[in-house]
Amino acid sequence: MDADTLRALLPLIIISATPVAVMLVLAFYRSHALTVFLVLAGLALSFASLFPASGLLPRMAAGLLVLDHYSFFFMGLMFAATFAVALLSYGYLGRKDIFPDEYYILLLIAAAGSAVIVSSSHFASFFLGLELLSVPLYALISYPRANPRNVEAGIKYLILAGTSSAFLLFGMALVYAELGTMEFPRISTAALFPGTDRNFVLAGVAMIITGIGFKLALVPFHMWTPDVYEGAPAPVAAFVATVSKGAMFALLLRYFTIFDIRRYGSLMLLFTVISIASMFAGNLLALFQNNVKRLLAYSSIAHLGYLLVAFLASGVLAAAAVAFYLAAYFVSTLGAFGVISVLSGKERDADMIDDYMGLAWRSPWLAGIFAAMLLSLAGIPLTAGFIGKFFIAAAGVDSSLWALVIILVINSAIGLFYYLRVIAALYSRRPGALAASPKLPVLGGITLGALSVALLWLGVYPATMLEIIRNTISRFF
Amino acid sequence: MLELLWLIPAMPFAGFLVLATAGKKLSRTGAAVIGAGSAGVSALISLIVAFSFISSPPAGNSYSQVLWEWVNTGGLSLSISFYLDALSVIMVLVVSVVGFLIHLYSTGFMARDDGYSRFFSYMNLFVGSMLTLVLAGNLLLLFLGWEGVGLCSYLLIGFWYRETQNGYAALKAFIVTRIGDTAMAIGLFLLFYNLGTLDIQQAMGLAKANWPVGSGIAIAAAALLLGGALGKSAQLPLQTWLPDAMAGPTPVSALIHAATMVTAGVYLIARTHVLFTLAPPVQSAVAIIGAATLLVAGFSALAQHDIKRVLAYSTISQIGYMFLALGVGAWSAAIFHFMTHAFFKALLFLGAGVVIQGLNEEHDMFRMGGLRKEMPATFWSFLIGAASLSALPLVTAGFYSKDLVLWDVWSSRTGGNWLWAAGLLGALLTSIYSFRMVFLTFYGEKKTPVTRTPGPVMLIPVIALAALSAVGGFVEIPGTMGNVPLFSGFLETALPKMVFSGVPESELISQIIAAILSVGGIYVAYFFWLALPEYARDFTKHPAGSALHRFLFSGWGFDWLYARLFVRPYVWAARVNKRDVIDLFYSGIALINRLSHYALSATQTGKVRWYVMVLGFGAFITITIVVFT
Repeated sequence: MDADTLRALLPLIIISATPVAVMLVLAFYRSHALTVFLVLAGLALSFASLFPASGLLPRMAAGLLVLDHYSFFFMGLMFAATFAVALLSYGYLGRKDIFPDEYYILLLIAAAGSAVIVSSSHFASFFLGLELLSVPLYALISYPRANPRNVEAGIKYLILAGTSSAFLLFGMALVYAELGTMEFPRISTAALFPGTDRNFVLAGVAMIITGIGFKLALVPFHMWTPDVYEGAPAPVAAFVATVSKGAMFALLLRYFTIFDIRRYGSLMLLFTVISIASMFAGNLLALFQNNVKRLLAYSSIAHLGYLLVAFLASGVLAAAAVAFYLAAYFVSTLGAFGVISVLSGKERDADMIDDYMGLAWRSPWLAGIFAAMLLSLAGIPLTAGFIGKFFIAAAGVDSSLWALVIILVINSAIGLFYYLRVIAALYSRRPGALAASPKLPVLGGITLGALSVALLWLGVYPATMLEIIRNTISRFF
Repeated sequence: MLELLWLIPAMPFAGFLVLATAGKKLSRTGAAVIGAGSAGVSALISLIVAFSFISSPPAGNSYSQVLWEWVNTGGLSLSISFYLDALSVIMVLVVSVVGFLIHLYSTGFMARDDGYSRFFSYMNLFVGSMLTLVLAGNLLLLFLGWEGVGLCSYLLIGFWYRETQNGYAALKAFIVTRIGDTAMAIGLFLLFYNLGTLDIQQAMGLAKANWPVGSGIAIAAAALLLGGALGKSAQLPLQTWLPDAMAGPTPVSALIHAATMVTAGVYLIARTHVLFTLAPPVQSAVAIIGAATLLVAGFSALAQHDIKRVLAYSTISQIGYMFLALGVGAWSAAIFHFMTHAFFKALLFLGAGVVIQGLNEEHDMFRMGGLRKEMPATFWSFLIGAASLSALPLVTAGFYSKDLVLWDVWSSRTGGNWLWAAGLLGALLTSIYSFRMVFLTFYGEKKTPVTRTPGPVMLIPVIALAALSAVGGFVEIPGTMGNVPLFSGFLETALPKMVFSGVPESELISQIIAAILSVGGIYVAYFFWLALPEYARDFTKHPAGSALHRFLFSGWGFDWLYARLFVRPYVWAARVNKRDVIDLFYSGIALINRLSHYALSATQTGKVRWYVMVLGFGAFITITIVVFT
């Protein structure tokens, strides 16, 4: 491994070194503020190191990791999202009155896992990244361990994720047994080799899809989502919804672009079915949901269904649509969970719609931000969500996926109902269940403000983001 | 300096944002400074931009500024872009300068009102939207501005929302203009569908190149856009909303319902003049509608008692002149009349506002009178406005613009004697109702005591507008008096010259007849409402006279007719169809969704063993699909 490769690996090295550094500091001095500062500094440094390293791309590292503009774009997204989660966690954990130190270490390890996933080009690195991401999550979800609901959610996630990992591993084994390779590029060429048993490989791929589908919470692997989101601390739920899913989706897109999914009619059919089922199930399940965290869980199922539409459209336009949509979805979801985080008190999270009754009259800015985030998730113009959805629909139309596009439009209409239900609660005149006037924590307020600016920026002036995508994602195709 | 262009609409929008978010915390002075200040800065910048545009015209006599592209994909390009040419220079100047003067006036007029900062936030939003409308480089942005001014019009007509009646007036304005807007939206879709671009200049170029004169598509597109223009500019048959819109505060009537928004239709037609040239039948319709409207509204103005309603009908009538000019291809004349009209009509409204406020909210002219001595500054200004409106020869701006309109109508290839005669009759009516207003309000005996006199912030704009109404016409001196066509020469860099019929009529004849009618009208007004008011009173007492009076008073009974033609049948149908049949379909969809929700929710049991089973089952299905299809 030469010096240039090491330099290109710098973001990964920094994000992996930061938890170690935090651990070492913790051994001497325990302070919530200092820990958070180190975590944020580490994340900012990893993010910043993407830029000097980007001149050295693309290159392979140790045959396991591929460092290209595609992985760098998603790494940047993951680091930024983790940064926001860490900021939100500070106030959240402060109010909960529990030792917060290990929490941040786990968070950083999970972020490192996501960075490995988006740059993996080999089953080994993929699985390593996946477990690096999952194992800290079990602990993070049940972090406030005095609360049985958190523990229940953590254990549920542990059992189900374990089961899905078993499928994933078995699928990898099948593919390896037949093709004799675990590198993505070789798999795609070897699969075309005459004399290979297609069914064997396809069964393996199907099992891998099961594993990925679980992480992405696509129907029919979605059952865990609401329970885990509901039980997890709000910032962790935000992390699960964004970083964990985004990394997996980036991998899915890379893997099947190399695999050239359009050659396999059966895979196209499978993803079409999954996409339609996810859109409908996610939106219908959310309709009359009274728990905001569960509602966002269901909505995330539907959003991944939308993303699959662009995924199926495949091509440069579709990849750009996926990247933009993910960015928009990250901002909106982090914002929505961010509002829940800053409103959550010591005892429980503010997760019932009743908690939000009339919030607009007590705290107009917070309610406005929440409403903006929900409108973005619903895809209303001038927000990031609209542009994202527009690009997805455009990509779908471009590839003549009419049925999928029409279903996407129908589902956007269904989705509008439950987002507006929450917004109606925010602006209703009935007094809410929450304490009179919530005090906005400084860091949380800054985070939410920054996210709102990003939301409008992406929605009104998408050119910046599109330029970034053109310089990174589009180079992969 | 042209790069400053974007700041012109941005300033009032910024003012709106500040007032909307922090309005409650601001003091009255603060709200006034931000409200009027942002409009003032905008006016200043537009003066700078206009000066720079005129002194050193950019290449092609137009300047485009693309701020950013919002969406650009699949042949659809939506950009936020501004387009400045001679036409938009004039529009921007009038909107921002008159807008600023009215803002300044409002700081005094609204001084005792509760919704002070709310008022200025709406007004700023309006000015921003109106400037966006006239500067828009593409049809979508134009439509955004178009709807923006419609919204502000609604909000400001219903500004005093505690009176139910005002709410109804606002609704009426919104709904009636909505009819036109729907037509216009369809027209825009039609243009985009057939030309594949939303950029106005590109679209016009393509239309000119591809559509033959009189082709069906050009006629359809022009007719649909005309629908939008009729609604916004209160022309027949969509004029009924404007008199009721007088429910709003008087500065609103001056700014929105006289000087700027209602002339958006004129701007739209001028901006898309290529389409109208390609559709001669529609263009003739524009002229005929204009002529009919100016007469209908002119007669109605004669019978009104409420000073603001006189001015409202007068506005409809004057916009009729602009439509008449557009209809015969006299583009420059229409825009010239728009400009002078903005000056003198804003002045008249502001003057009326002073009078109404001075007499403790008295609107009825028959209960005013004798104010000449008590409000001298207002009187003289109002007199100049009325003279300008009546096109008093030589000394008023209105004379030069109306004279140009009349002469162009007469001499245009598509004009002619009948349209000219209608214009002349309208000129007579104009001068009668204008001076009826002056005599009833300012002359005669005093009927209501003056309780409040205007301060300098209200008088300065009035006097400034009076000056503009007097000298604003000298930018275009007709051929008979020295021929200084500065204005039309400037506008012809953006709009085509009118086609003359070639018949050698004399401009002087037209001018002399118009001048006689103008002065004659003043004499008629003097005779009936000052010298021998018994005649007018006896006339309205006579059965036939009183019927005619009622007919004209109600604006030719259009409201009565529409109530029977549309409103009542609609209400009747709504009553019959109380349990909406069509709704069944939608509630059916809702029911299906509801049932699916409950069915799916039942699967979320929260039990891990069930979840694992579903996961395994999902894997089974996945493998089945992938391997066996």
